[in-house]
Parts: sequence; C-alpha cells; structure tokens
Amino acid sequence: MARLLQVFGFLSVLFRGATLTFQSLAIGGIVFLILVVRRVNENSAALQQACLRWIRRAAIALAAMQISYVLANSIILRQSADMSLGEVAGANFVLAGAIGVVSAFTVIALTAARRSTGYTDLLLPAAAIVTSSVMTSHSMARLEYRAPLVAFTALHQAATAVWLGGLPYLLIAIRRAPAADFARQLSARFSQLALVSVAVLASAGLLLSFAYVGSFKAVYGTSYGAMVATKVLLFGLLLFLGALNFQLVRRGPASSILASLKRFGEAEIGIGITVILTAASLTSLPPAADLTDDRVTGQEIFARMSPRSPRFASPSVQELPEDIYAAQKKAFESGSLSTESYVPGQSGTRPNTPAEQAWSEYNHHWAGIVVLAMGLLALVAQVGQVSWARHWPLAFLGLSAFLFLRSDPETWPLGPVGFWATLADPEVLLHRFFALLVIALAVFEWRVQTGRVAPGRARLVFPVLVAVSGALLLTHSHSLGNLKEEVLAELSHIPLAILAVTLGWSRWLELRLPAENQTRNAMARLWPLCLVLIGVVLLNYREM
Amino acid sequence: MQPSRRNPCALILFAAVAAFFIVAPAVAHAVLLESNPALKSAVSGPDVPIKLRFNVRIDALRSRLTLIRPDGSAQPLEISKQTPADTLSAEATGLTTGAYRLRWQVLASDGHITRGEIPFTVSPS
Repeated sequence: MARLLQVFGFLSVLFRGATLTFQSLAIGGIVFLILVVRRVNENSAALQQACLRWIRRAAIALAAMQISYVLANSIILRQSADMSLGEVAGANFVLAGAIGVVSAFTVIALTAARRSTGYTDLLLPAAAIVTSSVMTSHSMARLEYRAPLVAFTALHQAATAVWLGGLPYLLIAIRRAPAADFARQLSARFSQLALVSVAVLASAGLLLSFAYVGSFKAVYGTSYGAMVATKVLLFGLLLFLGALNFQLVRRGPASSILASLKRFGEAEIGIGITVILTAASLTSLPPAADLTDDRVTGQEIFARMSPRSPRFASPSVQELPEDIYAAQKKAFESGSLSTESYVPGQSGTRPNTPAEQAWSEYNHHWAGIVVLAMGLLALVAQVGQVSWARHWPLAFLGLSAFLFLRSDPETWPLGPVGFWATLADPEVLLHRFFALLVIALAVFEWRVQTGRVAPGRARLVFPVLVAVSGALLLTHSHSLGNLKEEVLAELSHIPLAILAVTLGWSRWLELRLPAENQTRNAMARLWPLCLVLIGVVLLNYREM
Repeated sequence: MQPSRRNPCALILFAAVAAFFIVAPAVAHAVLLESNPALKSAVSGPDVPIKLRFNVRIDALRSRLTLIRPDGSAQPLEISKQTPADTLSAEATGLTTGAYRLRWQVLASDGHITRGEIPFTVSPS
C-alpha cells in the first residue's frame, strides 16, 4: 500500500496516457475501417481482417488499462479514506471505468465475430468509450458551462482518435495494399478524414482553451499553460509532417511515394503518441484559469533565462542536506513546506537549498558541454565527412558515469543511502534508468556511426531512445500549486523535451526515407543541430 | 480559411493557426482555493466553523475532514450535506487553545483524489 501510494501520481499519468493511446487506436481503427477501407472500390477483405485484428488488440489493452486504473484508484480511496467497498463502488470514476471496460469488451466481441455486412455497429461502443473518457475529464467537474465543455471535450477526443489513432491503420493498409493505386486511394481518403478531424479538434480545442487557460499570460506563467503550449508545438510538428506527406502524394517521385509515405507515417505515429502522453501529463495539473495567484511573470522568465557564464565549481557533498527525507521533515515542521494541495503519495515540495541549486546547475552545465561537443562533432561528421568525428557517441559513456555519480548525491556511492534502498524511490530509479539509457545510446550509435552495424533495425535504437526520453521528460508529475520555482524549472525542461523528440524523429527519417526523397538530406542536418541546441539549453540551465 | 488542395503552404498556415489554439483535454485535480480557517491563521475558539472551497465539483460523500489536535490525536469531522458542489463544510466544537491541523482529502467529480493540510491555531476568545 505504501509503495502504491508513493508512485500513485506517476502511475495515474501513465494509466491515463495508456488509456488515451489505446482508446485512440480502437476508435481510430473503427472509423478507418468504416470510412476509408470500406469506401474504396477494391476487394479489401484481407485488409479488413487485419484492421479488425488490430482494433481487437487495442480494445484488449484499453480494457486492461481501465481495470488497472479503477483498481489502483479504488485501493487508494478505500485505504486513505477508510471507505467500504460499497461506498467506493458508487464513485463516478468506477461507473466511468465500468462503461469503458464493457464498451471495450463489446468491441472485442464484435470484431471477433465473422460477418459479411458493414461495421457501423462498432460505432456505438466507440461512442461509449469516448463517453467513459469524458466522464473522467476535467469538463465533468467544472462548475460553470459544464454541458458545453463536456461536448467540446468529447469532440476533441473523438477527432484526435480518428486522426492519430487512424494513422497506424493507414500504415497497415499501405503495407498490405495489393497495388500502388489502391494504396494511393486509401491515402487520399484518409487525408480528407484527417483534415476534417484536425479542423474539429482545433476548433474544440480553441473553445476549451478559453475555459481552461483563460489568458496569454497564463500560457507562460503556469505549468498548465506551458504544457498546453508544448502540446501545440508538437501538434505543429505533426501537421508539418502531414503537409510534407500531402506534397509528396501530389508531386513526389512515383517510384518512392509509398515508401516515403510509410516512413512519414511512422514518425507521425511516434510524435502522435508523444502528444497523447503530453495530454496525459496535464492530468496532474489544475487548469491555469483556476490558479491566478503567484504566476511567473515575463520579467522573471527573462531574468532566469538570460545567458550567463556556466558554473564550473561544485559545492561539496558535505554542503548538501545529509538526508533529504530528514530535510523534508524539518521543512514541514518549520512551515516552509507547501502543504495546500497534493496528490496522495506526495508530501509537499521543499525548496532546494542554495548548495543543492548550485549542485544541480553544475550537473546541467557539464552535461551541456558534453552534449554540445557531441552535437558539433556530429555536425562536422555529417557536413564535412570528417571520419574521426564519427566517434562522437563515445562521449555518452562519460555522460552516463557523470549522471550516475551526481544525479542523486544522497545515495550510493556519494551519500549514506545504500544502492538497493534507493531503488524504491521512483525518482532515483528514473535517474538510474536514464544513466543506463545513455550507455545504450553510446554503444548503439557508435557502432552505427563507425559502420559496425549492417543496415537494419539496430540503427533505429538511437532515434527511438532519444524520442522516448523526450516523451518521458514531458510525462513527469508536476506540483499542483503555482510554485514559481517548479514552473521556471519546467520552462527550461520543455525545450529539451521538444528538441529530443525532434532529434529522434528527424534521425529516424534520415535513416528510413528512400534515397530519392530530398527531405532526407534536410533531416540529416536537422538532428545534429538539435543535439547542439540541447547542449546550449543545458549550458544555460538555472535554478537561481 | 479553406486549405487549398494545390498549395501545401496554405495547409501549413491553416494548421499553424489551428495549432496555436488547441488545448489538451485536461483531467482535474481539486485545488483548495480558500478556507476557513485560513492557512496558518489564528481563530477564536471553542467552536470553529470549517469551510473549504475548491476549484471543481467535489464528491462530498467520498471526501474526508480530520482535525489533528495539539496532542496529536485525530478527530474525524462530520461533513455537512447542505453545501454548494465545490465546498466542504463542518463544525469543530470544543477546541481549546493550541496548534491544530485540518487534514482534508477530496474526491473530485472526475475521480481524482487530492489531499492537503491546513495548520492553524486557536486562541482564547
């Protein structure tokens, strides 16, 4: 129970992200099957079966996620509020979860049945899945304009599902298309559907933004606003790829159109999942419109972000609080801890001591130097064809050792907390995971850059790991209040996440696009530039 | 603006304008907007009316208020049923002077659990 409580906030975001993803895949597949596959004039029985299989898989995963979320939330509620099972069962989230699970099982049953007629009956459980999701959305708990907000949220989620959830089915369809012309017809039809979906989700989003963000100042002055802006940027990236697709279908070289469409589609799916995870990350935040006090101002952001020379002197371990848990308790007792609102498992946020801030800045700045050097070497290797510069990924090994030693100074080997004990702390575990990730990056990308790996999937490890790291950076939990320090820290982490996602998917496209596609050359320049920019952002990271 | 099928720039522009306004479907967490007693305030006893107002609708049946007395003992408070959808009310009676903490845990109408604590002191009336 204590362990579940400790990771409850993070688990909620993950369950929500997974639920939104699988819900989009199930609904997107159903609409793709009905409005795209069934409308083209070809015999598409095999493709229909493939779509049904993937819809069923998405529905199974959706049911599993819904059950997990309801169980975790029920256990926390029952234990923390000493509630009977009967009382918990009457809660709104249990009802919403039950509707979601029953709808998912209906989809599973309907897609498993053999049939010769259409699939329009699948739209009913699809609508029920959206209803279940909206029942646990912000709109249900609003005091004002509840009915229109519920309607706009439903439209927003349904349109997102049709567009982003339909993309994997487009890829499946292109792969299985018996002829190039058939694949072209499918792509053209899906493009029309995607355009309508984008228009609906953008219009609904505009109206929701008036209610939840409220003002431009809230966009940069609150965590919620900043995360919404991030989602918009990633959405823009997706639309840019969509526009490249659109241009490709109309003017691209006929020989490579389908191969290029598939590759762009893969990148769009990856960025699409990142957008959905970003939306899930907002689950841990109250809307900006509700937090009008203590917002970060433009002047404060300017003061924090304006360039200064990096910090190359670190405080000693002895200057840091000996035990962060004891420090937390002391801060709580002295009243300096924020205790107004938090999710179960959190215990308020203790402000960092000046020594801790200096320690963190030193870490970021050294990491920035290493990443900047790697980015410049990668750029030199790409542009100037300088062979020795291709060993740049080895610098990741140094970065990994540095992260392992310094990211959690209270733990082994620098601090008193033992190695195994630290693995129970989700934050430390996440840092350890990142250190291992960096080693994997070094090994795989060095082998790729120096030609030790034959063309194949191993080359994709680096772009995938970088893109996943960017997505993870966007899904960490946030404070519920408008704590200025946390908002400012978030404002410096968001560019890193966006650059990482761009780096990962541009490298992916460079590796996967056919040689005839001109975009490939632009992508080959874009990802080293992203690495350079990540280094620059890290070098200017500040906590004071 | 209608995106032209011939000009991808128009599509990008349309998308960029649309993207600027899009917002996430957020899931709420209840946040305490105001309270009586206020955070770290001093109130007169022995009877103290409790009122907590949140930013969203609250499931009062599945929410809890607990008073931590100066000696560390916990006393559950009965939540009044006649309150607005965003408010929890109760009555703490017979409070002697000293430092108290009001612990709250709420279930928002969208199924999210939030908790918090309000330290306050009771001074002689």
